Amino acid sequence: MSSPSLTLPSPAPAAARRRRLLEILGALAIAGTYIYLVLNQPADITGGPGSASALIALSGFLVGAILLIVAVLPTLPASTLVLIPVALVLNIVLGQFVGSTLVPFYLDAIGTVLIAVLAGPAAGAATGALSSIVWSFFNPTVLPFAAGAALIGCLAGLAARYGLFRRFYLAPVAGFATGIIGGVVSAPVAAFVFGGTSGVATGAIVSAFRSMGDTLLAAITKQALISDPMDKAIVFTVVAVLVYALPRRTRLQFPFVRRHRVLAGTTNEPAAAQGSTQTS
Amino acid sequence: MRLHPLTSLAFAGSTAVITTAAASWPVSLAVGAGALGLSAAGGTARRLVPAAAAVLVPLGLSLLIVHGLSFPEGRTVLAQFGPARVTAEGLAFAGERAAQLSAAVLALLVFSFSVNVPDLVAALASRGVHGRFGFVLASTLTLLPAITAQAGRIRQAQESRGLVIRRGLLHKVAAFRLQAIPLVLSLVEDAGTRAAALEARGFSSPGPRTSYREVPDSAIQRLLRMLLLAAAAAAVVWRLWLAGTGG
Repeated sequence: MSSPSLTLPSPAPAAARRRRLLEILGALAIAGTYIYLVLNQPADITGGPGSASALIALSGFLVGAILLIVAVLPTLPASTLVLIPVALVLNIVLGQFVGSTLVPFYLDAIGTVLIAVLAGPAAGAATGALSSIVWSFFNPTVLPFAAGAALIGCLAGLAARYGLFRRFYLAPVAGFATGIIGGVVSAPVAAFVFGGTSGVATGAIVSAFRSMGDTLLAAITKQALISDPMDKAIVFTVVAVLVYALPRRTRLQFPFVRRHRVLAGTTNEPAAAQGSTQTS
Repeated sequence: MRLHPLTSLAFAGSTAVITTAAASWPVSLAVGAGALGLSAAGGTARRLVPAAAAVLVPLGLSLLIVHGLSFPEGRTVLAQFGPARVTAEGLAFAGERAAQLSAAVLALLVFSFSVNVPDLVAALASRGVHGRFGFVLASTLTLLPAITAQAGRIRQAQESRGLVIRRGLLHKVAAFRLQAIPLVLSLVEDAGTRAAALEARGFSSPGPRTSYREVPDSAIQRLLRMLLLAAAAAAVVWRLWLAGTGG
């Protein structure tokens, strides 16, 4: 589809270096906030609501997510950019459908993972963060989870990059691992910004761990470790089913899929070129 | 005077930040009531209240369950059954946290229900990161009803071909596959067409743009935005400084 422009000059290396710097700063902001919150946690949570750690969690994770968006968004080609709104809507529409008819999970990342598999980790991270920001238009409580959503998109893209979607049975395994990491990173947001969870069922699980004497952060992390890996394993499986159902022509219009041989049965570019010369 | 969309966004955002930093329930309740009053005056309360309730009711119930039933740090036990202890401290914590979150959520929802989306998109500059973010925002908001309708049409088409969603996980998975695959396929195809159209109109080329839609802005509003952002930043710094000195 859209290829790098042949008539316009390519972006200067200085701009590319600045973007790389922004990416690194964004990742550092997220990682630093997480480490600070985990190290400092027990002092503050019961000392009064909404104190310093809520603000640190909110601003650190949000600044990190915004830096990632600023770094990635200008580099995406138009063919990927037009998929992002589609992914955001799919997150909502398919998530609701699966949640209401299939299983009692809240599968809200199908579109993000789909983009990550088709267009790579950077696009996946941007889609995850943008999804949270745009969805907060209707539900402001998802805004602080932008960093976690970006991480899930990035990890899904990396899983696709290293061939975990080539074997069908590896996709749920990759989803499970992504869910563990995503759940652990998102738990401080739930603990410090909300002081709990956003659903009644998850709240009951947290309450059970709390009454066994866990701190709030530990209880919420354990709850996330119960529900998130399962949730993401299902999401990755659904995405694998969807991607393999797409026609070959549609799959192969994405350079990321071609270059890294993301899917089984799709040959990479040099091999395809050889094949065409042999047949001609 | 009409407010520039970015000015109202700055209002909503700094209100949410300052309420979180203040962390006192009278402030939270006042902000929440003020937000409800504003939306009633603007005529959006009828849509805002159900949307806010859909977010806040499960959140509030969850907070009540988590802190109301088990708050190991609580001293004043009101009731005890089995491992669950209802403590006054737990209930107070849940109440304060719920009031504070409600205030922030209501302030932000007042903005999103009152803002004129085309104005907001036009106000974000038409190129660079802002322009791309504006494109994503605008096209999500317009695609959402279209894709929901398309999903409904695909379900009807499959049902007319004999799709019946029976009980049992396998049947449901098969039914999901029958509906999701045509939807995703057509969306990916559409996106390809749209990308070509955008590219042909110079979407990703640099250079100045002109906009058909002029959003009125004034020097006073620009100053106001700066002041609001500075106030929010000052509130955060003040709260962190208090925490740092052990206050």
